[in-house]
Amino acid sequence: MTDLITDADLVRLFPGQPLTHDSAAHYRGRLEQRLLINRCTDCGTWQQPPFPICPKCWSTAVVPTEVAGTGTIHLVVFLYQGPPAPGVDYSTPYPVATIELDEQPGLRFTSTVIGAPNDDIVIGKRVTLDWIDRAGTPLPVFRLAEGAAT
Amino acid sequence: MSTISSHNPMKNAVAFAGAATTGFVAKNSGRSQASLAAQACTDVIKACGLTAADIDGICGMVPSPPEMQTMLGIPRVTWFDNPVMPVVNAVAVATAAVFSGLCQTVLVYHTPYRLPWNTASSLQDPFRGIGMPAGSGPGPESIFGGVGYTAWASRYIHEYNVPREHFGLVAINDRSNAARNPGAAKRTPLTMEDYLSARMIRWPLCMLDMDLPVDGADAFIITTAERARDLALPPVLVNAVTLGMVEKNQEDQTPSLRNHGQQVVVDALRAKSDFWTDGTDIYFPYDGFTPITLNWFENTGWCGPGEGGQFVEANWNAEQQRILIDGRIPVNPHGGALSEGGSQASGHIREAVHQLQGLAGERQVDGARTALITAGGYFFNAQGLTLVSD
Ligand SMILES: [Zn+2]
Repeated sequence: MTDLITDADLVRLFPGQPLTHDSAAHYRGRLEQRLLINRCTDCGTWQQPPFPICPKCWSTAVVPTEVAGTGTIHLVVFLYQGPPAPGVDYSTPYPVATIELDEQPGLRFTSTVIGAPNDDIVIGKRVTLDWIDRAGTPLPVFRLAEGAAT
Repeated sequence: MSTISSHNPMKNAVAFAGAATTGFVAKNSGRSQASLAAQACTDVIKACGLTAADIDGICGMVPSPPEMQTMLGIPRVTWFDNPVMPVVNAVAVATAAVFSGLCQTVLVYHTPYRLPWNTASSLQDPFRGIGMPAGSGPGPESIFGGVGYTAWASRYIHEYNVPREHFGLVAINDRSNAARNPGAAKRTPLTMEDYLSARMIRWPLCMLDMDLPVDGADAFIITTAERARDLALPPVLVNAVTLGMVEKNQEDQTPSLRNHGQQVVVDALRAKSDFWTDGTDIYFPYDGFTPITLNWFENTGWCGPGEGGQFVEANWNAEQQRILIDGRIPVNPHGGALSEGGSQASGHIREAVHQLQGLAGERQVDGARTALITAGGYFFNAQGLTLVSD
């Protein structure tokens, strides 16, 4: 269905995002609340950010593929100030976390963590994918996993 | 694997003939980058005893080399380039251009400038905002740019369980050194109490962990060692210069604090240089963010992983409130990016040249003959430079 979204629409829906021929499928996936990461269909290697060739085997059979959305907090910062964004209030420092996804060691995706006090958002905690609205488009975010820590 | 080796045919064949600076201010200077660069460039050309007609290479970012040539009336150049920051990159290509014969005498310059995304007050100068559409970034859910260093600072704290005071010592060292540098933007003494109470910007880093946005310019003349010996100032030889980067170099995909660009720089620079930590008279680790400095101490081999802060404590001169390694080797004696001003390493290079020329004023390190510079951060900007006096 999101194939019906033109490239021009996509650029309009995701202002400021790094949209190219190679990343467009990822953003079309966001419209369906599917987190798509490039994966090589020849050797299975995942890659992020999306490039048009597999860095391991140089196959160009790279397909945006849905990930489970589970992972572990690898890096986290709390922004006391930052760029304006709808729904983001820096009066409570805003968490930005890099999540190491379960699909492959070193495969990481960066967003925010919602639904938890900042003191609980620490490196090593397990998270799961969720979605919130950002100016009319879905934004992939993470929640702390139920009762789990590593 | 890669081809890191000691091969370095241009070792000591190319030299800095001179360096000049405008000095830095942490406020809007009311001047353009062209004006600041023109001052530093004409100063260094004159200090070396040269004229515009002697320059046949131009290397810098802003203003562009074509603008610089026009502005200074440089008649003919055979090589020019505008490499990205930090500034060891410009030194590397200028040195290689001279060594290879693309040109003989290069004007290298850099103009730190307070840009609209650095400071709120920069936005009050309408000339600085041109071409910068508001709200054009990707939004807050990203660690690209400076946020990346903050994110890896949290990882550093997590992996090594170090207190923020370790970052604070880096800031205090820079400030104590800047007190002796009339060109530094911040020279008032800094205490650990000041550091710990400074405004948090992005936890775990506060305002005093981040380099100081300034207006200013540095300029250099790089030429053959042979020609430099005929000029007005003592030559400072380029012993070795290198850049480093690893396969995964985006801020959030970088493998680890022990596997990024700095380790490549250290391997290559150490192999190509005549001296290392035990032979340097001054050390210049990059300090655009305080944890970068600690990581450089560790990766350069002054101490082990996670021990940067303890190393600084062990080499702390309490009376002078600064680092003196083995009671002797100062670290960023000009005040570095945190107190002289954020210069993307041009200040570190200029201070090293001045120290080895004996021109560092009250900061002069007695008998300094060698300088080790490890510039830049982790991702796509780690660089190294060793300099020796002639
Ligand atoms: Zn592959």
